[in-house]
Amino acid sequence: MIHKSANKKGWVKKALIALLFISLLGGGAFWYIMNQTFDDTASAESAFTVSAQDLINAYQTNDSLANATYREQIITVQGKVTEVEAADTTVNIKFTDPVTGSYLIFDFQSQHVADAKVVQAGDSVAIKGSCSGNIYSQLRRAHMISFKRSVLVTKF
Amino acid sequence: MKKTVLVLSLIAFTSVLFAQTKKTTSATVAFDATTALDALPKAENKTVIAEIDTKTGQVGFEAAVKNFAFTNPTIQSHFNEERWLNSDKYPAFTFMGKITDVTKYNFSKNGVYNVTVTGQMTIKDKTNNVTAPATIEVKNGALTATASFTIVLADYGVQVGNSGKIAGEPKITVSAELK
Repeated sequence: MIHKSANKKGWVKKALIALLFISLLGGGAFWYIMNQTFDDTASAESAFTVSAQDLINAYQTNDSLANATYREQIITVQGKVTEVEAADTTVNIKFTDPVTGSYLIFDFQSQHVADAKVVQAGDSVAIKGSCSGNIYSQLRRAHMISFKRSVLVTKF
Repeated sequence: MKKTVLVLSLIAFTSVLFAQTKKTTSATVAFDATTALDALPKAENKTVIAEIDTKTGQVGFEAAVKNFAFTNPTIQSHFNEERWLNSDKYPAFTFMGKITDVTKYNFSKNGVYNVTVTGQMTIKDKTNNVTAPATIEVKNGALTATASFTIVLADYGVQVGNSGKIAGEPKITVSAELK
């Protein structure tokens, strides 16, 4: 009888330790996931380096294929800036196809906005950002290919 | 030659200044579904297409769902997945509407105008009517428009569950500088 009770106590103790261990592990994993943030794009490696016009052409030719290739990827794009749209705390840089009006647009990671604000239309630059793919705009009758969390790599 | 260039420049400048359709490709839309239990489900999209026709009152916004930037990668991934916004299948949010009683406002004059915008918001494959108050400030031909309203996610086929971590009626804030 005494032997049985001791066995039971030992089993309960082991179960409690296991439960505590699982809880700590789960809590740690949850804490890690919830406190994760995106890395600085400046330190991310580009999956592709392409010219702005080639990228616009890829989307105009076959946007499904272009999305399968470029969407959700870090891409470095080189080209001549056609427009800069700046506000107090933000700046967006655009490369536009002069024939169709389709364009690439980059918004910048907060720590890199100041670098991007020196860029002007006509400048040749390389920008790295996270490609969000395209939508076909009914308002502009053109493809918009957008990028988020971008960083200015070089101003040539 | 110089005169011709000057005249053409003047025409281009005045046509931009007095164009009745004001546009931008850099409007910002903020999405805030935070609750007391979770401060993470909020994001901004800074590359929203916006147009306002100051004569007819037509208003249009288009946003790429995937360009909403969250601070947390997991929450951003959830936002885009099939049971939420399903952005692979439905890549855009759109709002097409009109300023109510647009003839009451003279947008060619500098000033701050409090207007009401009514229109249709499309998220995923669901379209619902939305009415929201908005403020339009006119300064030397440029418009700064701001609006803030809530939407009911269930109306767009998005079920947030009962965990209390995601607001079922997130706040949408719009700001745009249109030229």
